[in-house]
Amino acid sequence: MASSYPPPFEGTGEVKEGFLCPLCLKDLQSFYQLQEHYEEEHSGDDRHVRGQLKSLVQKAKKAKDKLLKRDGEDKPETGSYESFYYGGVDPYMWEPQELGATRNHMDFFKKHRAARIDHYVIEVNKLIIRLEKLTSFDRMNIDAGKIRAIEKSVVAWVSDTDVPFCPDCGNKFNLRNRRHHCRLCGSIMCRKCMEFVPLPLAYKLTSGTREARSVTGSQSQSPPTGGGGNVSGMGSRRGSISSLSSVTSMLEEKDDERIRCCLHCMDTLMKRQQKLEEKDHVPDIVKLYERLRLCMDKVDERAPEYIRMAESLNAGETTYNLDTAGGLRMEVQKYYELIDALSKKILTLGMKEEPQPHQKTLQLQRMVRYTATLFVQEKLLGLMSLPTKDKYEDLKEKRKQEQEKRLTQERLIAQVAQKRRQDSEKNRPAASTNGEAPQAPRAPRMTKAGGWLPSSDTLHTCGELEDPLLQQIDNIQSFLRQAKAAQRHDEVAMLEENLRQLQDEYDQQQTSLAIALSQRLAQEESLQQDELQRLEDRERGEREHRAQSQAPGSQATYTWQGSLNLTDTGSLHGEEEGEEEVTPKAESSPLSMRAFPALTDQDEESPPRLRRLGGDVTPPGGEGQNSSSLNPFEEEDSTPVEDPSNPFFEEIQKEHKEVANGKKEYNPFEQEEGGEEEQGQAEGATGNPFEVKEENNEGNPFKEASGCTPPGASTNPFEGEDEEAMPDVDVIEEDLLLQQIDNIRAYIFDAKLNGRLDEVELLSENLRELQRTLQEQKSKTH
Amino acid sequence: MNVTLAVKQYISKMIENSGPGMKVLLMDKETTSIVSVVYTQSEILQKEVYLFERIDSQSRDNMKHLKAICFLRPTKENVENLIQELRRPKYSVYFIYFSNVISKSEIKALAEADEQEVVAEVQEFYGDFIAVNPHLFSLNLSGVARGRSWEPTLLPRTTQGLTSVLLALKKCPMIRYQLSSDMAKRLGESVKQIITKEYELFDFRKTEVPPLLLIMDRSDDAITPLLNQWTYQAMVHELLGLNNNRIDLSRVPGISKELKEVVLSAENDEFYANNLYLNFGEIGTNIKNLMEDFQKKKPKEQQKLESISDMKAFVDNYPQFKKMSGTVSKHVTVVGELSRLVSERHLMEVSEVEQELACQNDHSSASQNVRRLLQNPRVSELDAVRLVMLYALRYERHSSSILPSLMEELNRKGVSERHRRMVTSMVEYGGKRVRGSDLINPQDAVAITKQFFKGLKGVENVYTQHAPLLQETLDQLIKGRLKDSQFPYLGPSSLRDRPQDIIVFVIGGATYEEALAVYNLNRTMPGVRIVLGGTTIHNTKSCVKMAGCPLGGGQFLIHTGNC
Repeated sequence: MASSYPPPFEGTGEVKEGFLCPLCLKDLQSFYQLQEHYEEEHSGDDRHVRGQLKSLVQKAKKAKDKLLKRDGEDKPETGSYESFYYGGVDPYMWEPQELGATRNHMDFFKKHRAARIDHYVIEVNKLIIRLEKLTSFDRMNIDAGKIRAIEKSVVAWVSDTDVPFCPDCGNKFNLRNRRHHCRLCGSIMCRKCMEFVPLPLAYKLTSGTREARSVTGSQSQSPPTGGGGNVSGMGSRRGSISSLSSVTSMLEEKDDERIRCCLHCMDTLMKRQQKLEEKDHVPDIVKLYERLRLCMDKVDERAPEYIRMAESLNAGETTYNLDTAGGLRMEVQKYYELIDALSKKILTLGMKEEPQPHQKTLQLQRMVRYTATLFVQEKLLGLMSLPTKDKYEDLKEKRKQEQEKRLTQERLIAQVAQKRRQDSEKNRPAASTNGEAPQAPRAPRMTKAGGWLPSSDTLHTCGELEDPLLQQIDNIQSFLRQAKAAQRHDEVAMLEENLRQLQDEYDQQQTSLAIALSQRLAQEESLQQDELQRLEDRERGEREHRAQSQAPGSQATYTWQGSLNLTDTGSLHGEEEGEEEVTPKAESSPLSMRAFPALTDQDEESPPRLRRLGGDVTPPGGEGQNSSSLNPFEEEDSTPVEDPSNPFFEEIQKEHKEVANGKKEYNPFEQEEGGEEEQGQAEGATGNPFEVKEENNEGNPFKEASGCTPPGASTNPFEGEDEEAMPDVDVIEEDLLLQQIDNIRAYIFDAKLNGRLDEVELLSENLRELQRTLQEQKSKTH
Repeated sequence: MNVTLAVKQYISKMIENSGPGMKVLLMDKETTSIVSVVYTQSEILQKEVYLFERIDSQSRDNMKHLKAICFLRPTKENVENLIQELRRPKYSVYFIYFSNVISKSEIKALAEADEQEVVAEVQEFYGDFIAVNPHLFSLNLSGVARGRSWEPTLLPRTTQGLTSVLLALKKCPMIRYQLSSDMAKRLGESVKQIITKEYELFDFRKTEVPPLLLIMDRSDDAITPLLNQWTYQAMVHELLGLNNNRIDLSRVPGISKELKEVVLSAENDEFYANNLYLNFGEIGTNIKNLMEDFQKKKPKEQQKLESISDMKAFVDNYPQFKKMSGTVSKHVTVVGELSRLVSERHLMEVSEVEQELACQNDHSSASQNVRRLLQNPRVSELDAVRLVMLYALRYERHSSSILPSLMEELNRKGVSERHRRMVTSMVEYGGKRVRGSDLINPQDAVAITKQFFKGLKGVENVYTQHAPLLQETLDQLIKGRLKDSQFPYLGPSSLRDRPQDIIVFVIGGATYEEALAVYNLNRTMPGVRIVLGGTTIHNTKSCVKMAGCPLGGGQFLIHTGNC
């Protein structure tokens, strides 16, 4: 009883009263200790006291029960397992259990069977050999005497005088009841007990089925070709033989077409024949059944896959393609139809034949059909339906919203926590584990290229940090920690290098940031589309309200970028790993950092990505679009994937043809490095904060324009941040524009080098556009 | 220590061993019960077993495209039938499993019959018991006793059943038995003998604390099986009779054809599994909820399936709906019938007096109540007899016993002579002279204190006051306080530590009330696992029958039989 209660610390003060030793009043912590103590110290005392102690303990327990409002008697009824602290398990939960004891007798069995089989096989073979000798000559054209001589030479005939009675039926032999010799074993029997092996059967037994068939021809009525129907029925065999014998009754003594033998030899031969027949015979039901099982296996294999897809699609996820799932559904359904058809066929097998199959055969067929029906019922009817195309769009939207709502909530929680921790945790790697991240932390993963990856769960929270650089620093620190834990010394060195650079960067940035941001915001404002403006205006009120609780606006803008790119790259780490291996070491510049965040494993379904993908369904795992963004020029190919319905898309295309997906913008210090021509293609394509900005703005209105987002959805933290950034957008804009121009120039340069003239054209157009915008900005601000 | 799982594992292993293809399961009468208790037809169909045949059936056809799995008790008749089968095999391959130890000579005889080499497997799989619940097994044997000793044929049979449980659970236990019962001692010795003889089989991995086999005799507590029960499983057995988890409802007025016999198996019936141990009142509530849930899912009659989405929704819910409708109609019928019987037979009142007899110590009130009920014309004969039996057992040697006048009352009620004689038989079976434990008046101080505390607490439910003696015995056993003088060890060694794995076997049959007690002990006692078994599982009828005809042993009991 005692141990079914929680350990004493739960009960604290009140319980303590109960654990005083009644004899020495020593205070003991628990019942066990008390008991131990008692048994050690006072075991000599008389039993009466012991009984007292026990009743005392019982009282104490009762008191405790009352205090904890837990009546012991009620426990079994509550049905919740938590009420039992440890031990005590429902018998239904007693698994796992290994298979009980067994004992195998097969070896012993085989030993004894082998002896028997040897004997049996010899017997059978002897008969077959004799049978062959008896059939090896032309019985028709040799006279009876000669035949008899040959027959006698095959096996020694038992002497007539030795056998006065038929050994099988016991009748006395006399003139009327004559003796007959078995041609296979030489024994004697009466006429009634005599059997005949028809020649076709003999041929069949001695030389296989093929010859027998060719010989029978005219004797198709003879039993051996009748098939397996009469295999065990000696009676039916006998009947047919007797009818045969009546035809040839005149030639009583001349066995032209059959061989006399005794009952026992006949029995052995019949068994042999039966076995021969079964060897090649596959009944229809088996053939059908095998196909049926094949289909069932296929369904077992495919259906779970489909259900996974359907569930995902019905939840509005974009992991799978609707069409692929539809195809799979068709396939599975086809198998169901096959199963249905096959089992129906099995059910009706032999129904039209006369005579009707044995009732057990019919029962078997019914059961197979029943099982198939059950199978189809269980699996097919449980098969989830797919959403229609329109419905799917709705679902996707819904999910997006839900996710955003969730994120908002998480963020709110995180913010509270963040404020508290900000300072103290800035330098601690653990900082990243703030209130958020409901996802279970991931252990460092082993991958093909890198072999080791720092876990990225921490990055998920970066949105809450006021500066992407700080996030980055935090991340690096957390990576460092993980790397150290994983004994990756080379990585550690690299990361430390990165960290140092980042910290420098951060200092620099802080100083320039204030100015830059104000410029940028001012500039951006003019770029906003009217519609966008209107939409955003509508929601500005509440957003600003939210924004006020945020960190300074400028920083929040960066935060958005950070989280955007991180989520984007989530799916990418596979492709990027290779890069990671090369870049950081080779350059050992701040840029080398960028590969790392790319590796971060984000929740793939995070809203930014969904938004960007718009109505398109990304094939699972393919990620072609995203991965292609490694190369900015490939982007062009993939741009059509973007939702053309996006009203802002065209403009963005014009402006940054090559950065359609905004893949890499996450790296905050690319703002500074943006213009560097020596960046690799992939790097160059990425990380323009300006683009991020565009991306952002494009994203939101699209969402609203598509009409699926009710105003309530504006609680989306990302949108809020955009909005909040508005007041000083144009201040930073100019700076960003300049960077962008530099970037474009770099692209042009690169495109020229690679001879992609069409791109050059597009890019130069872009460049012109940018420069024009810059002019406009300038004239506006001044 | 899960007997249901043990049997299931054996059977699925057999099926697995035979590979893919259509199969037939060849069984005898007893193995059919063993299999049917743990597996439903549809479950086993999914494993490609399409036919279930009795080895002694003559109507089987040649079906060379089937594989045969033979699961048989190693009896003489079965071996003989199998030999005949192997001489002229009807199926392509035979996988033979005996449910218990088989002799070498019988294997040899089988081997010699297998001239066509159709046997692919000969093994012993020790599933030789009926696994009623995970912690409850039965051997479905009745009439094991002849007077105070074993019916000669049934001691080896019981030993086989009990050793097969040990083998299936892989336990090589120490044995304690009830000293007051010679049968318990004999069975213990017999089991020990098998363990010694088949020491290779019982060579399991040693656990820190060896398992314990406790052998008890029903006669020590004849009161428990005589009480009306109020938890679902026990109540169903008491009022309707559970036989291999099946109830015969054919006598229920206006029963539909498909509900004439229903299966109550916690393995496949979630509702049953959840309500097995709940009392009648709670089940009523749960049934109501189940109904409401069902009503929601049920497609409305008037609501036509007009749109495609309606149909889709219907089809999506269909399998669940169908399953549910089966469950609902089954339990509604069963619970309906139970409550009909309860009101028809005034079982509430009867039970209250029963519980008073069993648990309280107020002779005058109890005798008044018994008399009052006997005079009530609506109290059934069986209930009247059982009340008098309980009275006779309880106040057997009370100075002012009114037993003679109660017997007169029975006579006036029109209870047959045969049934009246059973009261005497019952006292002979489970009276004070026979008992080894203090079923009624506890003697030692601890027990008295306990009863005192119980009195203080008051009674929560008058109908479920009674706790079977087994509960107290097990409680003592677990705490290491069970007296060696009452339950000695067989052999010199004894258990030093508190036992962890306990197998309790009740000669003469266990009850579902005891099963519930064991279930609760399992759930509340840390590190203790108890399995309860009996030669059968009793309700009042079967217990009265057993006590009433102590000389008529040998036949198998059908629980639902009239007494």
